[in-house]
Amino acid sequence: MLSTSRYVFFMCAALLTSCTSLNITNYYHKHNFTLDGMARVYQKAWHNRHFSIEFTDRSFDQVSLEFDTDTLSYIYEFTVGEPRMQDSILKYGYDTAAINNLIFNMKSMECTWINDLDYYTDTTRHSLVYISLWPKTFNLPFVNKKYYILTYFSQPQYFDADGNLMTGRRLRRIRKINGETFKKINDKVCYTITEQFR
Amino acid sequence: MPFNRTETLASLCIALGLMLPIQATATPSPSSHSASATNEPVFKLTCNPTPESPTSTIQQALDYLNSTPLPDTSAWWPNIRSNLFLENLKANLLTPYRLYQGTNTNFCGYAALTWLPLHDDPLTYVRFLMTLYTDGNATWGPIHFNPSPEIYNAAGTLRFKGILDIRPADQLWFLVLADHFKSYLNLFFRHFHPGSEDTFWAAVNYGKFNRIIRDMLGYHVEATGSDLLRPHIPDLFTRLNECLQTGLTYLYVNNTYLHKKDHNKFKGRFPTHFIILDQIRHIPDQPDKVDIIYWDYGGRTLRQVSLRFLKKITFGITVCTKLKSTL
Repeated sequence: MLSTSRYVFFMCAALLTSCTSLNITNYYHKHNFTLDGMARVYQKAWHNRHFSIEFTDRSFDQVSLEFDTDTLSYIYEFTVGEPRMQDSILKYGYDTAAINNLIFNMKSMECTWINDLDYYTDTTRHSLVYISLWPKTFNLPFVNKKYYILTYFSQPQYFDADGNLMTGRRLRRIRKINGETFKKINDKVCYTITEQFR
Repeated sequence: MPFNRTETLASLCIALGLMLPIQATATPSPSSHSASATNEPVFKLTCNPTPESPTSTIQQALDYLNSTPLPDTSAWWPNIRSNLFLENLKANLLTPYRLYQGTNTNFCGYAALTWLPLHDDPLTYVRFLMTLYTDGNATWGPIHFNPSPEIYNAAGTLRFKGILDIRPADQLWFLVLADHFKSYLNLFFRHFHPGSEDTFWAAVNYGKFNRIIRDMLGYHVEATGSDLLRPHIPDLFTRLNECLQTGLTYLYVNNTYLHKKDHNKFKGRFPTHFIILDQIRHIPDQPDKVDIIYWDYGGRTLRQVSLRFLKKITFGITVCTKLKSTL
């Protein structure tokens, strides 16, 4: 009897664990229209004025906006849809349509953070769009949260035979972004799975 | 590295002693600095400890850089190109608030304390780094820096750290400081290995932070707090405002709450980050909330937080003032 219950327990545990694994490549191909659109809208809006968007809770109701100016970064937290959020976006001179569109799509895609990050090749500065996804399948109690990270580069990147993102054409060194190694989805989009969303 | 039982026990006792809450005031022995200044930095905190009389000016430091010849390559620092080194120093002088510790490194303590020489004595700062570059060793105040062999090779090679990748002088500065100053946090991480910048090797605990400001930079330090327990401050808002009136105010905070990187419910309850507090003010109609403006990660940030939250994350308050003898 004991061995049967143990067997059932381990089977359930195995089933639960298997449910948590999600193929990020399939996920990307399934939602690439929305995800690519988010990256495009963000990049365009970011080039006008720098900002980042973060959802701070699991229900994706609380959003934190960071408005970056030359002298100061302003970080404000809002409930999605509250009027003072729109007032603040307008006050700092941001594109309300773009930010509202991003917030809507981030919520539907369960995206917890979108930002622009710098990286360097030799002494040249480049930037990429960094999207952190927090799908519900990863939300197990007592287990550290996992995030899918998608990076959108503006130019095609170099990859080794295993699909690892490399620093250059000579494929000598694996490139790390935010301390993580990334794998290829396509020439300009990479992914990783990590325990930190930024 | 071999350890014997007595050494380990002794280290643990020292470590525990250092972690206990402290309320300390410390003044270093006076050192002689030349005083002359007229130039204003591009950007200043409102709580600059030396608003009227910096020890040296940015112009003096720039003149020194322009008049001091530098070899194209240094025998000591094989991975640092002199043009990038000079560019880095000039950028630090002209935009000191942009100093960046690097992505995912533990250099925040060193970056935070660099605010003091960059604003108050930029000439000594550049002179020290130029001497290090040309001679491989240098002295700051009473402290002589003779870096370990692995530091010479590592400076200029740190990569994937954001703008720190192309800032060899900052890499050298952080690495040399981390190599020289040790505390119980570095007990098992005494020597640099590739990647050590992200580990306890580069970490700064509260005692070490205050010690560097006092002993190396020569400031009077008033410190309240510890590495493990939060200080008991009934009226944090008033206290912080008093500190801001007195001098440059550092906060030793738990960054897992301030700069959240995950949504885990269980977070470490210890401080991990140094920030410079610039302003704190009440928000109208929200008595329990305040605006705080602080410097870290190469920029100033304004955030609205509750006083309860601020109390929860603050483990140390350090106020630095210039010694009267050097004013």
